[in-house]
Amino acid sequence: MIQADKSTLVGHSGATPYLLSGPSIIMVTALLVFPVVYAVWVSLFDAEFIGGPQEFVGLEQYVALLQDPDFMWSVGRTLVFVTGVLVIGIPLGLIFAFALSRATGKLRFLRGITIIPYLISGIATAVIFRLILNRDFGEVNRVLGLFGIEDVAWFSNPTLAMLATMLAQVWSDLPLVILLLLGGLMTVDAELLDAADVDGATGWKRALKVSIPLIVPQLVLATILLSYQALTSLGIILALTGGGPVDATRTMPVALYEAAFVDLETNKAMAIVVVILFFNAVLTLGYWLVSRRFDLEAP
Amino acid sequence: MTATTVADRRPVSPPEARVKRWLRRIFVWVPLAALAVWTIYPMLMTLSISFKTKADVSADPGLIPANPTLDGYRSVLEREGFQSAFVNSVVVGLGTALLTVVLAVPAAYAFARFRFRGRHLLLLFTLLPRLIPGLGLMVPLYRIAVTLGAIDHLLTLIVAFTGTVLPLAVWLFVGFFQQVPRELEEAANVDGASLYSRIRYIVMPLAFPAIITVGVLAFREAWNEFNLVLGLTSSPGSRTLPYELFLMTQTTGFQDNPGQAAFAIMTIIPFIFVYLRLERYVVSGLTSGALK
Repeated sequence: MIQADKSTLVGHSGATPYLLSGPSIIMVTALLVFPVVYAVWVSLFDAEFIGGPQEFVGLEQYVALLQDPDFMWSVGRTLVFVTGVLVIGIPLGLIFAFALSRATGKLRFLRGITIIPYLISGIATAVIFRLILNRDFGEVNRVLGLFGIEDVAWFSNPTLAMLATMLAQVWSDLPLVILLLLGGLMTVDAELLDAADVDGATGWKRALKVSIPLIVPQLVLATILLSYQALTSLGIILALTGGGPVDATRTMPVALYEAAFVDLETNKAMAIVVVILFFNAVLTLGYWLVSRRFDLEAP
Repeated sequence: MTATTVADRRPVSPPEARVKRWLRRIFVWVPLAALAVWTIYPMLMTLSISFKTKADVSADPGLIPANPTLDGYRSVLEREGFQSAFVNSVVVGLGTALLTVVLAVPAAYAFARFRFRGRHLLLLFTLLPRLIPGLGLMVPLYRIAVTLGAIDHLLTLIVAFTGTVLPLAVWLFVGFFQQVPRELEEAANVDGASLYSRIRYIVMPLAFPAIITVGVLAFREAWNEFNLVLGLTSSPGSRTLPYELFLMTQTTGFQDNPGQAAFAIMTIIPFIFVYLRLERYVVSGLTSGALK
């Protein structure tokens, strides 16, 4: 039956699809698209004092951000944070995904458990990490103590605080990475692996030489996914370190929070929003291109 | 494959082969154990601390509390703001789930069944949540809500959260609706079923798993969201649980560690419960949601 939709299904007029989809399209436009346009607009203005009259200043806010050492510091911290999350998250996700792909029978229940951290809010994740990384009673310090490493001050040492934040971020997002890579591994041809087996490649050697090259697209997607989760992470950092100590974990989202809700510099905050959204858009573009190029799950 | 079947096939199993087999098993078992510890242990420790007394948190390192107590939970329940935050979270969660489904089902039906100008917006819908994360909306929506006088209303939160989950919800429903055979609807159409009754009695029942998935997805978003609550609420009575928990971590001075643990557990448990009951519907939806 090759007919136009309108003739096979009746009981509606030409306006019907617009009436059905209209409310959603209006909602999304009003709540996702408009605020961004509004942010760009407001970022082009400035006020001499809080609540003062708005003056058009063009791109001055952005120039001021570039010349602001505090903001450039937060850009640097963001780069460190995102890089660290990737360095910890991707290898860990890969190892866990490989192990899960071999987990058969009763062990399959582990796949169900894997997703749980993803269901927990960033704030609750931060609370969990505050407890297990606590200097006095934290489980991690207790284990480190067994190896003779005593009294690690996770949240007062700048480097360790950054590491702690990375760990919490990775914990929260690793389920996505694992499931994405696991999905890739499941599609790797079983015959190919058998052939490799016959050739004498076993275990991790087989994984490195045969499987990893085949899941490169998934690895790229996982990298981008972790990057933008880390780039836009605020709750975990705020609840874990508040951006400290001595601004060690003051990433761009924390700078945004301070500009908007502490210093009440709305115009500057909007410019930071636009900068963050720009970085995010670059990552999204990469994600989209990769998933289209390799015809992966993402549209 | 058990050892006997291998032995049956290869009567002589050289020792190196056996060692290799064990090595291979260890290479799977060790990472799996690490995965279980990595995922579960932080939560188990938190659960354990939530049942300890404040003094025992450092005095008693055991996983099973020596002097189990509900003091942590009591201190949270007695905390000013917890009960209203809990009620708010439930109301906003259910409201978001309901509004999302009500708006997304008709839209997805239009995208799945009609050729109309605007159906290409669907592609944009799939990219929007990635392009514009909640963090990017926090400050602009805050300014807009101040202008509209919409700060501190639960309805504002419901509408904002619905906006952020809607694209994904529509996208998931479209995938489902496309699987409902068109012939089914055509047959009903011949029998005189209207558009409404086709959606209500044919498409919706078949898409039941998708409705559960989208509902849980929307509920999760509302239950866990922090950034937008930070922007859209200012008075204690209108906050949801993550914000209230955040405030608890910000208290200076002596930290109520069992209380914080208990609070975290109380925000986690209801959702894990929902998830375990609906796992078979939800897992694929949740992950595809995150990945798409």
